[in-house]
Amino acid sequence: MSVVVFYFLAFCIGASAVLSVTVRDVFHSAIWLTLTLLSIACLYFYLDAGFLGVIQILVYVGGIMTLFVFAIMLTARIGDRSIQQTNRQLWPGLLISAGAFTIMLKIILSGPWANLITLNPGIDLKVVGRALLTQYVLPFEFISIILLAALVGAIVIGKVKE
Amino acid sequence: MIPLEHIVVLSVFLLSVGIYGVLTQRNAIRFLISIELILNAANINLIAFNKYLSTPDGLGQVFALLVVGVAAAASVVGLVLIIAIYRLKKSVFTDDFNLLKW
Repeated sequence: MSVVVFYFLAFCIGASAVLSVTVRDVFHSAIWLTLTLLSIACLYFYLDAGFLGVIQILVYVGGIMTLFVFAIMLTARIGDRSIQQTNRQLWPGLLISAGAFTIMLKIILSGPWANLITLNPGIDLKVVGRALLTQYVLPFEFISIILLAALVGAIVIGKVKE
Repeated sequence: MIPLEHIVVLSVFLLSVGIYGVLTQRNAIRFLISIELILNAANINLIAFNKYLSTPDGLGQVFALLVVGVAAAASVVGLVLIIAIYRLKKSVFTDDFNLLKW
């Protein structure tokens, strides 16, 4: 049962990711990206990372996708069907990404996976919170500085100059 | 339980789709969408390895959380830059962004 759930989620993630970079309309592309992110959140719940799943839904689906939709609405004449969405590097790009996928697949499938599986008995939120605020407090503070810089930078760049 | 390498293959597939999008899209907003796909591929790996290898603390989850924060900051600044350039050039296509060239 749980195996079926994983492969269904993997299919949802893969198919909607491919659609989000191939459909013509940018707005549809944003909708497909939302489906990808929701499926990834479900995968986090499946992998016993419930907190990350909630954060994924809150930050990505709630925040970033709203921003994407706003940006698509604010920049006109891009949803037009007659405009070409890909540049001249379609076939080289396809070749490079397929080649990278094949090489990484070969490396992954030749790895010694069988002798390093030791399942974690599920990490609860208490452990994650304690690790975040004791041992990994420096990266945590860096993230707050990065978010502050992004906030100020977004306001400064986006401001309309008189 | 599903084998770990299947999750890693899923993440690699997502990464290749993102690379394809970054290389071929003309529209700067779809460019950012592809970058989000790449960052999510990295996050799936972090969560999966955190589940399958017994790390004492939730190291993978902590770093996945930090990646989500960086991704949010990156896409906010990227979208604001796109809107600022749109005001200047009336376009969101990357072929028209040649302000620093010539």
